[in-house]
Formats: sequence, C-alpha cells, structure tokens
Amino acid sequence: MDEQTFPGTLDSLEGVRDYVARAAGQAGFDRGKIYNLCLAVDEIVTNIVLHGYEEAGLSGDITLRADLDADEFVIRVEDHGKPYDPNAHRMPHPDDLSLPLEDRAIGGLGIMLAMDAVDDLQYDATAAGNVHRFIVKLPHANAATSPGRQS
Amino acid sequence: MPLAMNSSLEGKTARLELSGELDGNSAPSVRQEVEKILGASPDRLVMVVDRLTFMASAGLRILIFAKQRQPGLKIYMVQPQPTIVDTLKKTGFYDGVYVVDSEDIDKAAAG
Repeated sequence: MDEQTFPGTLDSLEGVRDYVARAAGQAGFDRGKIYNLCLAVDEIVTNIVLHGYEEAGLSGDITLRADLDADEFVIRVEDHGKPYDPNAHRMPHPDDLSLPLEDRAIGGLGIMLAMDAVDDLQYDATAAGNVHRFIVKLPHANAATSPGRQS
Repeated sequence: MPLAMNSSLEGKTARLELSGELDGNSAPSVRQEVEKILGASPDRLVMVVDRLTFMASAGLRILIFAKQRQPGLKIYMVQPQPTIVDTLKKTGFYDGVYVVDSEDIDKAAAG
C-alpha cells in the first residue's frame, strides 16, 4: 500500500489507525487481528509523539508503509525523533499483572500490547531516521515452516 | 471515530459513558472528567462502554489513576466490546474491574 505521512502529533493517531486498518483489511486479516494491529501501531506512534518528539523538544513527521508478500505482512513506521528501542524496554513481570490496579506501574503496558499483537517488532535507529517494523507471519507461511508438516 | 463522553452522579454512584475511540489524544480529557467525578468521592464508578470501539493503554492508565486516587473505588465496565475485554485480560486489568452486562449494577451483581 502507498506510504502515508502524518504530522508527529497525537491528533494523527486516528488517521494512523485508519491506515493500518485499511492495509490489514486488504491483507485479509480478521477483525480481531486488525484491531490488535491498530492497537500495536497506535501504542508505538503514541510513544514516538510523546517521547521521541515532544519530550525531546523535536518536531517532525511519521511515515507509514504497509507491505504484503507471500510470507508476511509488514507495517513500517519511520520517524525522526529521539531514538528509542521498544525492545530495550523492561516488560511488566507476570506477577506485576496480577497486582491490584492501585499498585500497578503506569508504564510498559503499551509496548507490551504492541509486542503481543505481532510476530516480531523490529527497530533500527539510523542517521536517516528511526524505523519500527511490525511483522505478522501469514498463516500459510507458519504452516510451511512448522516442523510437523507433511507434504 | 472521535471520543464522546457523558457523566452523571447519583448518590454514591458515578456514571461515565464513553463512546468512540479512547487513545492518547482523547485520554487527557477523560482523565480530567474522572478527576472531576472523583471529587464527589463516589463508591462506584460505572463506565458504560458498549459503544467504545477502541481503547489504548492510555485508557488503562486512567483506571490506574482512578484507583490510586481512591483505592476503595469499585469500577464497573458495562458491556465492553470483545477486543477491549481482550486488552483487559492480557494486561491483568480484567480482575481489577467488574465487567458486567447491565448498567443496573445491583441487579447484575445479584444475577
């Protein structure tokens, strides 16, 4: 799908989700998967806006591009804010998830939801910008690589 | 879809109806509304969310905020959509709120 560029501000979130929903719909995912992909990208774009741009005193755009091939569906998100690798973030411990709400930590939930929605969340910070890649393996690709598959 | 909300207070029960999409952009206004609601020190916060179609972690943080402000508060979520129930379960929030089918909390609890 053609790439689309949004201002790096929170009021772009709705448009970002619309883009992801259209791309994931065209790829044939069901409603639940489309929702989870929208949630994943929304969470990361929110972090980019709040931490990569606003907290760092920067401004810039966010560009999305969806690609589909025989094996995987990929949403690529590029920004030019302060780099932050979501994979470096400490995930909530399973014990943390059963704490009473008033004892819960505020952070980490968004990245946890983003990672849960995809098979892989890759990140690269380069001089040209920061790139997140949300990767979903297609079902037949999973089947083709599963050890017990019989031809 | 933009977020719409409506709140009211009856006795010690506060009602907050949310529809549309709750994301990082709309969450500050909801948090502000919750803060206003908690000013009346209700025992129960009934969130009518059957028409809430999207909730990001910003929504979860509002629940944490409400419970931290008022630990004894009972939070009810009325008819959340399955995708939002899924988010509540994945993050452990499902056990921290009362997910109910009816806005009539006493009747729902009895049933």
